[in-house]
Amino acid sequence: MTTAYRRLIATCQYFLGVLAILVTRVTFGQTVDLPADYSCSLCHRKQGELWNENTPLTDESNMAGDIHWQKGLRCHDCHGGAPTLDKFKNHRDDPEFRSVRLRTSIPGFCGHCHSSIETMRRFAPSARTDQEAEYWTSGHGRRLRASSRDDESRVDKAVATCVDCHGGHGILAVNNVKAPVYPTNVAQTCARCHANQTIMANRTFNDQPLGHDQFDQWRRGVHGRALLEKGDLSAATCNDCHGNHGAMPPGVDSVANACGTCHGKIANLFAETRMKHKFQEARLPGCATCHGTHETIQPSDELLGMEGTSICARCHNPQNPQYGATVAGEAAARAMRDRLEQLKDQIAQSEALVRAAERLGMEIRGPRFDLRQATDALTNARTLVHSFKPGPLEATLGEGLKVTDQVQAAARAAMREHTSRRVWLAASLVPILMVVALLLIYIRTLTPPSAVEPGEPGSAGH
Amino acid sequence: MKLLSTLRAFFDERLGLEAVRALARKKRVPNHGCSHFYYLGGMALFLFLVQIVTGILLSLYYKPSPDQAFESVRAIMTEVEFGWLIRSAHSWSANLLIGVLFLHLLTTYMMRAYRRPREMTWISGVLLLGLFMAFGFSGYLLPWNELAFFATRVGTAIVGVIPFIGDHLLLLARGGEDVTGDTLARFYSLHIVVLPLVTFGILGLHLFLVQKHGMSVPVLTAADGEHRTPSIPFVPHFLLRDMVGWYLALALLAALSALFPWELGTKADPFASAPAGIKPEWYFLFMFQTLKILPARLGPFEGEVCGVLFFGLCGLVVLLVPFLDRGGKSRMVLNVLAALAVAFFIFMTAWSWFSGPGQGVRQIMLGTLLVAVVLFLLIPFARAHSAARSAVYVCLAISVIAFLSASGWELMR
Amino acid sequence: MRVIHHATPTHAANGVFLIVHANPNPARRRWLLRALQGMIGATVIAILYPVARFLRPRKATVSGALELVAPLKPKDLLNGSAKPFDFAGKPCLLVLLPEGAKRLAQGERLQTDDVRAFNAVCTHVDCTVKYRPSEGDIFCNCHDGVYDLDGRNVSGPPPRPLEKYKVTLRGEPGQEEIVVSRQA
Repeated sequence: MTTAYRRLIATCQYFLGVLAILVTRVTFGQTVDLPADYSCSLCHRKQGELWNENTPLTDESNMAGDIHWQKGLRCHDCHGGAPTLDKFKNHRDDPEFRSVRLRTSIPGFCGHCHSSIETMRRFAPSARTDQEAEYWTSGHGRRLRASSRDDESRVDKAVATCVDCHGGHGILAVNNVKAPVYPTNVAQTCARCHANQTIMANRTFNDQPLGHDQFDQWRRGVHGRALLEKGDLSAATCNDCHGNHGAMPPGVDSVANACGTCHGKIANLFAETRMKHKFQEARLPGCATCHGTHETIQPSDELLGMEGTSICARCHNPQNPQYGATVAGEAAARAMRDRLEQLKDQIAQSEALVRAAERLGMEIRGPRFDLRQATDALTNARTLVHSFKPGPLEATLGEGLKVTDQVQAAARAAMREHTSRRVWLAASLVPILMVVALLLIYIRTLTPPSAVEPGEPGSAGH
Repeated sequence: MKLLSTLRAFFDERLGLEAVRALARKKRVPNHGCSHFYYLGGMALFLFLVQIVTGILLSLYYKPSPDQAFESVRAIMTEVEFGWLIRSAHSWSANLLIGVLFLHLLTTYMMRAYRRPREMTWISGVLLLGLFMAFGFSGYLLPWNELAFFATRVGTAIVGVIPFIGDHLLLLARGGEDVTGDTLARFYSLHIVVLPLVTFGILGLHLFLVQKHGMSVPVLTAADGEHRTPSIPFVPHFLLRDMVGWYLALALLAALSALFPWELGTKADPFASAPAGIKPEWYFLFMFQTLKILPARLGPFEGEVCGVLFFGLCGLVVLLVPFLDRGGKSRMVLNVLAALAVAFFIFMTAWSWFSGPGQGVRQIMLGTLLVAVVLFLLIPFARAHSAARSAVYVCLAISVIAFLSASGWELMR
Repeated sequence: MRVIHHATPTHAANGVFLIVHANPNPARRRWLLRALQGMIGATVIAILYPVARFLRPRKATVSGALELVAPLKPKDLLNGSAKPFDFAGKPCLLVLLPEGAKRLAQGERLQTDDVRAFNAVCTHVDCTVKYRPSEGDIFCNCHDGVYDLDGRNVSGPPPRPLEKYKVTLRGEPGQEEIVVSRQA
């Protein structure tokens, strides 16, 4: 065929394509608006004229919500190449075209823009541009590289790349509540693979199997519940401790730092203890040793001390001490727990006394207000436990105990006042009953009335 | 003293007090087997006086708005000196007053004191009972605590059940669709202005009629002529005995206020659900319990409507007793009805009171008190010096001792 | 006219009112009357005394109030040592801003915004916060929570800002009363 004839065919096909688009828009509704001279959809849409089974289809279902699309970027801005055909051309012959047929090329594909400071400055000036670099240091990146190093066809298809978390053609902004990487959705997104037994089978880290129960554990723990049930967006989810693009489990020495990002005061207290060094020596994971890794349970006073379910007893076991745990530590644990319980008891007693006084109707609001200071002291003390020395704890608890003593004294005084009312009552009954007695005697001395007065009616009137 | 007699003469001349004194001198109180029932009227008057005085005192500190009512009552109980005493006295006295009024009604019926020419005394008396129950209902809401709020809601809802006018009555009573600050304002105005004015009027009429017609005498005693019944002068013989009663009531009030101060409760929250076991004051319990046990439908009518109309009918019958009692058969019918009514009242009240969360000793206290009251009423039916009379006295003594023991036990807790 | 005279106690016919006639010794009677009047007087006093005390004005009410004059004056608020006081059952923290402290030192009239009042209950775990003039913030010692002087939670665990109350100042410069009020 001659070139002119081919051109004619192409033009006709083009117009037919446009018509097809218009028709399909009317019949099938939502399709994205490509510029009039775009030719991608001629091949890459099912309704496209030049589509065949070997042509990959674009998923345009979320394209309208895609953040890139909304910023005005189109097919060729990500995929490269020419958006309009003046003749039939194979992508592979186009040096400008950026292919993503290989999984290992996906990070670079996205990084083409997202690692470029000039590009990102045009669209989101404060956005970071190191995601790709971070990715290659992450567990995912390393695994991707390692599995495809020798033979691209043996690449690990289950390892996460950019599109596995962010999506392909319907990428939502991070602050969009429907985005897979919105704080409330992050754990779910990670769990797609990390809670899947098949995918996680035979995967190890530092010779430990990775397992697949982290999501369940996190969901049961304090952070999971705070985020999912209470909607507290500041609660820790996967990326807060593991990092975003450079996701790796924190090393055992870094666990305390990860926790300390939010739990600053406690991490500072812990950092100055001997326990921290012992933990490091024994390769114990810092905070997670007592509070759990993914299932961070709601801490309670029962964790402290040497009885029952307490954690201290696990190492400071007199029969079987672990990791060089000392007898002094055992004594300290016991002492701290005992003092905490003492203050709790005193607060409970004070509350009971205050309630009793209130029920008796006595004015007790002042002491009730003061009792707050004791509960403040208790909260403070629970934080100070992490200094693992009875000393600082003593001071705080002592203040609390002073307050409870005062409150109890005030409550008892109020109840004594209540009793005194009864005493005064008894006193006031004396004159009253004396009046009654005297009246009765006086009545006896009255002149007896005439029983009846005939002629006069028995009662006054008519 | 010279001064006193000069003052006396001064006011006598100008106010004509001599007429009053003459009346007082002439007034006599019949002396017969049922005469101790005559104390009840004066006792009610005394308790009413206590209510007026304590009520005025409370009104100096009470603030009738939803966000301040509860707090002001709390302040009265805890901050105002002796506020707890005045408030508890007001609440206890209200309950005692209504109890005394019930007894006064019952004993007046038993003595048939409504016979000609005293029909209007009876009618004004029944109206007064209604007024005092309205006092009780309106006053109950004022502390704006949980119990009061929901009891008022339930009580005004019952008013709304009356056919045809019920909805309007409900809106009138509540000042709106629901119990709100408008209801509180309305009830407060009722309690301290409207009801007192109306009560003074009708009470004045009632007392005037009593003076005019004199104390009535039971039929049997009056068989040989009312004017021949033995009697004692009102002043000073009866009055001094009355005073004994008043002072005993004063002692009882003081004891109750100091030993069982009235509860504050928790502040009303209109959006919270009603707490379990909500009940009105004891004098409404019989109606409350009846309405509770009535089935939802009685034939073609709603159960509640039947209940409300039934009580309305009962009230009408009570009001018209002087005209319904024509002696002989009609009298017997009325007696049977009265006995049934009293039994019904006591039974329903007891049922309602003792059901729901137990209050143990307090229930025993109330039970023994009820028994004592019933026995007190039976006294005149047992002939003097008979075995029956002695039995009644013994049982009365036992129940009073039981009451005191239960109270003592409750105190020791 | 039949008058019943009896020298010995007797009962009136059929009656409940016992008519007993004891020998009326006039002197005894007078004494009895005096004693009676005395005792009645005592009971009247026993009634009037509580009533009189009841009528006396009482201290300003604290709890449940929507508005309250703070028990602190501006000069008590210097160097942030003032403790929270009870307002509607909750601790109320008064903060005198640096500009206010300057104005106070110079004897000028304070401006409304110089004194701020907050519900001192930390929104994290209910500890009581305090004002730190050196850092210019409001601090919660329990878990290092920090609020700015508008009550906004700026650092640490507190999830919400502090509840802010309205402050009105009235009176002579240097002797102003601080009136704190809140919505119901």
